[in-house]
Amino acid sequence: MTQFEGCPGSRVMNFEEQDGNDADQSVGKIKSQLGQWPIQMHLISPTAPYYQGADVLLTADCVAYALGDFHREYLKGKSIAIACPKLDAEQDIYQEKIKAWFDDAKINTLTVLIMQVPCCMGLMNLVQQAAQSAERKVPTKCVVVGVQGDILQEEWV
Amino acid sequence: MNEYLNRGIKEIITEFPEIEGILNDYEIGCGPCSVGTCLLKDIVTIHRLTEGQEQELMARIAKAIHPDKDIKIPEIEKRTEVKPKEFRYAPPIKKLVDEHVLIKRWIALIPQVVDYCDVKTEEGRQLILDGVDLIRSYADKFHHAKEEDILFKYFDENSDIIKVMREDHTRARAYVKAVLDALDRGDETAISENLMAYREFLTEHIKKEDEILYPWMDNNLSTTQVGKLYSQFEKADKEIGFSPEKYEHFIIKLEEKFKQKEK
Repeated sequence: MTQFEGCPGSRVMNFEEQDGNDADQSVGKIKSQLGQWPIQMHLISPTAPYYQGADVLLTADCVAYALGDFHREYLKGKSIAIACPKLDAEQDIYQEKIKAWFDDAKINTLTVLIMQVPCCMGLMNLVQQAAQSAERKVPTKCVVVGVQGDILQEEWV
Repeated sequence: MNEYLNRGIKEIITEFPEIEGILNDYEIGCGPCSVGTCLLKDIVTIHRLTEGQEQELMARIAKAIHPDKDIKIPEIEKRTEVKPKEFRYAPPIKKLVDEHVLIKRWIALIPQVVDYCDVKTEEGRQLILDGVDLIRSYADKFHHAKEEDILFKYFDENSDIIKVMREDHTRARAYVKAVLDALDRGDETAISENLMAYREFLTEHIKKEDEILYPWMDNNLSTTQVGKLYSQFEKADKEIGFSPEKYEHFIIKLEEKFKQKEK
């Protein structure tokens, strides 16, 4: 058997002080841009007032930790729900909730933020299935985040 | 084999344990994973194997699943997230780009329309009228109106680029009016000249929009604006009062007609 490093979704990696440069770090307290509660996909109601006509983020759990500027660059001005396509159970409920965003809450846009690991693609697949079953079309963007917080892809789907 | 590409890897390994060892040989370590819901196709794609390695891996997996069959290996669509960013229009802009396709198909047919057209016959007159209807209804009312009444309002309407686009639309309308005037007079030469001038002019106009205006606008629209623009376009399309498919059918029929004439 050859040596290998395991699944990219759970492979051990250490990025600590890899570039030794912290010159661009912000100073002082950074204001949270979260404008709602709850946020976990099983807990949210897709027709809650903060989703009506909103620009919505559907974010894989790990994204907010990897993406340094998550609040300012992505969360600001948007409503959010989070989920893990690898570990969460009963994801058919997620699909129904996404469909309800499209048809009932009449959201303006959906931005799906996922990590680069293959299991995260499951979240995008859920969205695509929900979009196919929805009557209303909504512009949907997919953002793929690298494990070190770099944006690998950002495009409309 | 395609069905296995869309199944979770753990499920596949449980059913065909040999596959764990095969994946190990390509440094794909799904075996110890306690979840294993990743799809086989995603796993193969994300590990960035060479084309040869991917084919070899898939062939070995296929053999493990169907030892007695000669399996054709399906191609796995390459995911784009590991590549540099590719440009894709936002949905409302893409809608406009897609509408250009039908207009360009009409433009491509104009030389044949001009050659074929005999306005002394009812059929010849009707062909010109149908072409003008496509320009006025589809290209102008359906397409240009979305630009002028909705899209341009998201930008500085006094900017040179928007002014130029509006002037282009006005000029295109003038060519169409000239075609209809010539048709009333039965002046075939003027019909041909104006249709050909329209063709040349609109080809350049579409090129400007596809290559300069739309990419620039796309880059300057926020996510919120993209959503609003899309909803406004959907509403405008629903309220237009005719089916755009009618014009696609017209073009298909015309293309077939001229193709047969060439034979």
